[in-house]
Amino acid sequence: MDCRDFRENHLAFVDDTLAGIELVGMQMHLTECESCSRQDAIVRRSLMLFRNLPTIEPSPDFSARLQQRLDDVKLADATATQSGRARKLATSVIATSVVMLGYIGVSLREVDYPQDITLPPVVALASEADATIAAPAPEMVASVPAGLPIWTAALFAEQTPIHFASIDLTSTAR
Amino acid sequence: MANIARKHAVQLQGANVREQLKAMDDSAVVTAFLGGEERAFSELVERYQTRLLNFIYRTIGDREKAEDLVQEVFIRVYRHLHRFDRSKKFSTWAYTIASNLAKNELRNRSRNPLVLFQTVQKNWQDDDRPLQFEDTNSRPDDMYRKRHLREIVEESVAKLPEHHRNVFILRELEGKSYEEIAEITDCNLGTVKSRLNRARNSFAEIVAPYME
Repeated sequence: MDCRDFRENHLAFVDDTLAGIELVGMQMHLTECESCSRQDAIVRRSLMLFRNLPTIEPSPDFSARLQQRLDDVKLADATATQSGRARKLATSVIATSVVMLGYIGVSLREVDYPQDITLPPVVALASEADATIAAPAPEMVASVPAGLPIWTAALFAEQTPIHFASIDLTSTAR
Repeated sequence: MANIARKHAVQLQGANVREQLKAMDDSAVVTAFLGGEERAFSELVERYQTRLLNFIYRTIGDREKAEDLVQEVFIRVYRHLHRFDRSKKFSTWAYTIASNLAKNELRNRSRNPLVLFQTVQKNWQDDDRPLQFEDTNSRPDDMYRKRHLREIVEESVAKLPEHHRNVFILRELEGKSYEEIAEITDCNLGTVKSRLNRARNSFAEIVAPYME
């Protein structure tokens, strides 16, 4: 074994994980090579120093502070869960509303409304007054001056349409 | 899996739950927690708080911030434990979270010089504190030497490149296997070995003059 091999295997050598034959080779090299032997000693001693550094302990209030932080976390998680539920509820309400509105909209479109009824335009007409003057029936004209019984005249008079003289006069004046 | 969790929760309703939890392995404690046993989380905290604190502290070099980050690790574990793949080791998952948080912290520091300054200032002020870790029966010059050496070691670790330091701490301080380190750091096995070898040699080079 040369120095290069020694250096390559030194990690496993210090950790005591080398196979038997390699371990023997390393130990042999240590007895032969002063430089590698010195390096091995320095590494081992420095590691021993490091491993023997005093252990530091958590401060006395460490547990109390941790517990406080854990309580805060629990509270925050509980609040988040509640608000999450509320958010879910709100979301589901909104979603349901949207679905309902959509359904209503679709339903309304499908309803068969009666078509608009188109009626003819309304035209108002004033009835024209009868411009012709109906002349009294000759019987009536004849009977009145002749002194004939009045009932005949009355009978005729009842059957005659009412006719105002003013209209006649107006028409005549035109 | 839910049935197993429920079974554990029912089993733990008896007396001395904490003792039962202590006797369980990580996987069973996680299952108990997911089954509704809140005390199982305290057990996980108990098991990992010191280890994670040391890991993060050695990585970022700021004790106060390290504590904050360890707390953040546990908060994340608490929130996301239900998503944890239980076919894997819990410790690997926890260390992965811690490693990522430490990396982010270092990245933020490099972007924000003010934070870096505050850390340096705090470390400088720490020098004025009374000695805490040394044996008080030692001679003063011995105490000084030990303290000085400890500082040298800590500084030497801090001098390693970030990705080397991470691997180095996981291996030498936390005793993680290469495979676990590969998973935690999201590297392949060859990269882990190469980085670890370089880190060891670099660290030895830095520390060597002080060990003479």
